[in-house]
Amino acid sequence: MRIRTAGVAAALTCAFLVAGCGGGDKDATTAAKASEAAPSGELVIWADDKRSAALKPFADKFGAENGVTVKVQAISKDQQTTFVTASQQGSGPDVMVGAHDWIGNLVQNGAIDPVQLSAEQSGGLAPNALKAVTFNGQTYGVPYALENLALIRNTALAPKAPATIEELVAAKTKASEKLCVQVGQNGDAYHLYPLYSSAGGYLFGTTVSGDYDPKDLGVGKPESVAAFKKIATLGEKGSGALKRSITPENSIATFTAKKCAYLISGPWAITDVKKAGIAHDISAVPGFAGGKPAQPFLGVQTFYVASKGKNKALAQEFVTNYVTTPELAVALYQAEPRPPALTAAFDQVKGGDPDLQKFIDAGKNGIPLPAIPEMAAIWDPFGKAEAAVIGGADPARTIESAGKTISAAIK
Amino acid sequence: MQLDGPVTARQARPAEDARRPNPFIKIVLLGLTVALAIWAAFPLIENEAWIGLAILAATTAGLLHLYLTPRHVPAKYLVPGTILLIAFQVFPVLYTASTAFTNFGDGHRGSKAEAVVAIQTASVTQVPGSTQYALTVATTGDPATGPLVFLITDPATRQVRAGDAAGLRDISATVNSAGRVTAADGYTVLTTGQASLRSKEITALAVPTGGGAIRSSGLSRAYEGKAGRLYDESCDCVRDTTTGRTWTADEGLGSFVAEDGDRLAQGWKVTVGLSNFTRVLTEPAISGPFLRTLVWNLAFALASTGGTFVLGLLCAIALHSPRVRGRILYRVLLILPYAMPSFAMLLVWRDMFNTDFGLINNLFGTDVDWFGGATSARFAVILVQLWLGYPYMFLVATGALQAIPGELSEASRIDGAGAWAAFRKITLPLLMVALTPLLISSFAFNFNNFNAIYLTTEGAPFPADNPANGATDLLITYTYRLAFGGAGAQYGFAAAISIFIFVIVAVVSAISFRRTRRQEEVYS
Amino acid sequence: MTRWIRQVGWRHLVAVVMLVFAMVPIVFVFSAALNPLGTLSSSTLVPTGASLGNFGNLLGGTAFGDWFLNSVVIAATASAASVFLSALAAYAFSRRRFRGRRVGLLSLLLIQMFPQFLAIVAIFLMFSVITDYWPPLGFNTWWGLILLYLGGALGVNTWLMKGFFDTVPRELDESATIDGAGHAQVFFRILLPLVAPILAVTGLLAFIGTINEFLIANVFLTDTGAKTLSVGLWGLVAGERDANFGMFCAGTLLTAIPTVLVFQLLQRYITDGLTAGAVKG
Repeated sequence: MRIRTAGVAAALTCAFLVAGCGGGDKDATTAAKASEAAPSGELVIWADDKRSAALKPFADKFGAENGVTVKVQAISKDQQTTFVTASQQGSGPDVMVGAHDWIGNLVQNGAIDPVQLSAEQSGGLAPNALKAVTFNGQTYGVPYALENLALIRNTALAPKAPATIEELVAAKTKASEKLCVQVGQNGDAYHLYPLYSSAGGYLFGTTVSGDYDPKDLGVGKPESVAAFKKIATLGEKGSGALKRSITPENSIATFTAKKCAYLISGPWAITDVKKAGIAHDISAVPGFAGGKPAQPFLGVQTFYVASKGKNKALAQEFVTNYVTTPELAVALYQAEPRPPALTAAFDQVKGGDPDLQKFIDAGKNGIPLPAIPEMAAIWDPFGKAEAAVIGGADPARTIESAGKTISAAIK
Repeated sequence: MQLDGPVTARQARPAEDARRPNPFIKIVLLGLTVALAIWAAFPLIENEAWIGLAILAATTAGLLHLYLTPRHVPAKYLVPGTILLIAFQVFPVLYTASTAFTNFGDGHRGSKAEAVVAIQTASVTQVPGSTQYALTVATTGDPATGPLVFLITDPATRQVRAGDAAGLRDISATVNSAGRVTAADGYTVLTTGQASLRSKEITALAVPTGGGAIRSSGLSRAYEGKAGRLYDESCDCVRDTTTGRTWTADEGLGSFVAEDGDRLAQGWKVTVGLSNFTRVLTEPAISGPFLRTLVWNLAFALASTGGTFVLGLLCAIALHSPRVRGRILYRVLLILPYAMPSFAMLLVWRDMFNTDFGLINNLFGTDVDWFGGATSARFAVILVQLWLGYPYMFLVATGALQAIPGELSEASRIDGAGAWAAFRKITLPLLMVALTPLLISSFAFNFNNFNAIYLTTEGAPFPADNPANGATDLLITYTYRLAFGGAGAQYGFAAAISIFIFVIVAVVSAISFRRTRRQEEVYS
Repeated sequence: MTRWIRQVGWRHLVAVVMLVFAMVPIVFVFSAALNPLGTLSSSTLVPTGASLGNFGNLLGGTAFGDWFLNSVVIAATASAASVFLSALAAYAFSRRRFRGRRVGLLSLLLIQMFPQFLAIVAIFLMFSVITDYWPPLGFNTWWGLILLYLGGALGVNTWLMKGFFDTVPRELDESATIDGAGHAQVFFRILLPLVAPILAVTGLLAFIGTINEFLIANVFLTDTGAKTLSVGLWGLVAGERDANFGMFCAGTLLTAIPTVLVFQLLQRYITDGLTAGAVKG
């Protein structure tokens, strides 16, 4: 019985062997034929969901023009970490789209290459955008859009732009909330920074060359304590302009529901504001009376060339010679109305969209979001300190312990 | 074929029995397994992955041996799942655990060779005052395989030169308005599509010049670049070509370090021994709140498991009667919380707990700062867990009740026992036999329920003096923050903490598991 | 009447109370899905509008159909295979006595204790090689993801099923063995039918677990057309600044449909198995 079984098994195995080989050969031949018919390389681009949708038609066009296949893939969460991890193992994309403050971390992981722009190309970019993607003297990536916070106001509820935050707090309005600025349970350092800087605080000092200096941490210093004392006056125990119940998820929605007179947000909020049909105006984020100017962070959306991409030459071609054309920049603007970093594209669209120039003006005092890797240690503790102080905790103790946590992390 | 593969391996086993009427099924399945193995072998041979091939051959041979001989009955049932378990769970866990002894993390992800490449690539800058050329990629041979040549056009003079590893030489060629070569004697111009297939060679090609080398920037431009930093094997260091400053490799840190302590950002992965473990034990920010977090973590896991079990069982018993009209509808509605994607519902719950805009405060007319106070936040996350988790217990308990032979409880009813007594004495002990292992595994799951916290409170509220550890933090969310919230991702450190947690859970689970031995033998 | 309350009435009471608890968040999601404004803060418990716009946008403006199909295929295949695998293992753990049995069981549990977010690195490590060698099992394929999920099949479900196998009296299979049945026959012909309710429950749980899985699917599936529902839905709210809440809720509701259908399909086995009617309330 067993012998017979084994015999049948052997026969079957042979049959499958033949079938297996045959199938394999056929596949190989078909593949070879296909590649003969259309010899082309493949370019893989990663972006978040929104941008990948906007990129798709242009990627296809680039592919068709150049006889290559372009794949745009959306990474929904943890784009930066996923990119670095995937790259390290050789499964990453050729081109990555992301914010410029990733640069420090991407460089230390050897995940991106510098790009070589011609003088003409770099001259066509907004100077602060180019500065933001410059790290250790090299240009890492091509910027395509700028963003910074501004004060957006519902002109029906708040006709006049306040000059100071005190003025904003004192203004009378029919809305149930005066100011919508996202704080959430665990704070939001990015959205707080204009007020923090106006009150005299800073995150990192700068070296003589103008780069951020990770050895000079401003969080926990007396300046930061003074700043947080001022911020506390706006908190839940103070005037209530800042509150933890305004979260990243609901701040824009609360504003568009006309429950808020003012919103501190960026260009990404405008689509929703317009969709809700709200008459609005945009001005710079106001600072404290008698304080320093409120400095929003300047962020730059950037195309990166991945170091470990399979098709680097093509990636460089796409990033340096295609992203720098106004067409693509305009299309990306149409997908999401952030001011284009390419001057030619900006000039092309600003006529139809007065908000763009207002955002640029609101960002006049702005400083580039630090791209050094140490910045990663700031966000979480700083945000929590913010939330705690707004909730009524002692400013000095809170910010000093946040400073300790941060300096322990960056050593 | 590859589709059937994994299924095949599994199904082959039970067909083993010689008296089974249909040995054909078994033979087909084993044949498929072998065919699949053969399919899998080709790429391994092509890539000369001999170790992989040996593992594949040994596994296939082992499977054939196992199912063609009558011995090792338990193994016949365990092997299919176990193979997958080893490949996709045990291997990742062991790999992760092994990183606990390294500095693996941001800035130290790859090998030293990769770090050197990254440092040198990042230091290439355009030679000051040099020109940018229009580039045409060409070859002297076949477009797919011939030796590559860069045809570069000077934008001012429109002089074309051909360059390869040997250097530059002037040639005559036809150029278009953009300066790119359209035709040149003796050279075949590559289309973008053709060039894109040879991307690696193009990137690697550097045409030596006096001041540096001509490199490609994409497929249509070239520049004269020079590496600012070069690795020198003789001193195992990186040297700056202009200032002469050196950074020497430190194999203990996995970084190039200058004499003044300055480190290059691009490091590599090295073994650091037990230092990640000692860091867990000695850093006061970690060891300080560890015990408090552990206690809350245990309470959370117990409350979630116990609470969902009680609620689920209650529902199951309530609907376990044909006399309840509409129980089919009840059941469908009661499992709905489980049918909704849990991450989505966690986000919805988080919004419902919002102090000013949340549904809960609106419904009850209260003004509770739910996630602001330790007690209310803990209550809230457990409530959410109850909502998410009870349908699971409800389903399992419903199945368990059905599986209990009805005669047993009926017999006791005839004996005159009351409904409650019958339940307590007969049904519940039987249920517990079936459900205790499940409760243990549910406890273990909840102990590490990352999303339950990460998507709701994110650990809040945090004491003002410690932004690293919040009142609702579980050990796993705490680990996540320590390892990824600070200076980038520190996988080695995270793995070390995970091993500590693992030991704790292992001990707790092993102790509770010992108690199941008694129940297991009920029928033996 | 009191007898009715004692025997049946309390059951309705429990069910209704639990229903209220269960349904409040779902009604909220339902209202948000119907709310034409589609933002979070404008959502209330009672629907303020009855617009199907969110559903329309979801179906027309995203690859929702693809996501849906991917999810259903992956979850159905993975859960069916996983139930089978773990039933086999559970049989061995429950009925066979062999060395390392209890250690094996405990190891199955403990292996789940390692945080998944750390395993991502190892998954990339493995699947980068697999994608190169065997593209049909690599990234962005159904089969690759299903295989990966099956790695976890033994973990949770074996424990669940082993407990139920233990409740089936051993005399049943022992007498079958005496009658000359082999172990395969005992397993397929005697045990499996007896534990049909549990197979159904386990299958449903595995189905739900797979369809809701997010962490791995997010890094595994990057092609827009290859994504599953949970990854696609996350993308809708990922920006944090987006006000896609209505669409997100609509998607959440639609995601629940396959699960409810599977439950309906399996309910027959769960409640009307061999023992149906045997237990009188």
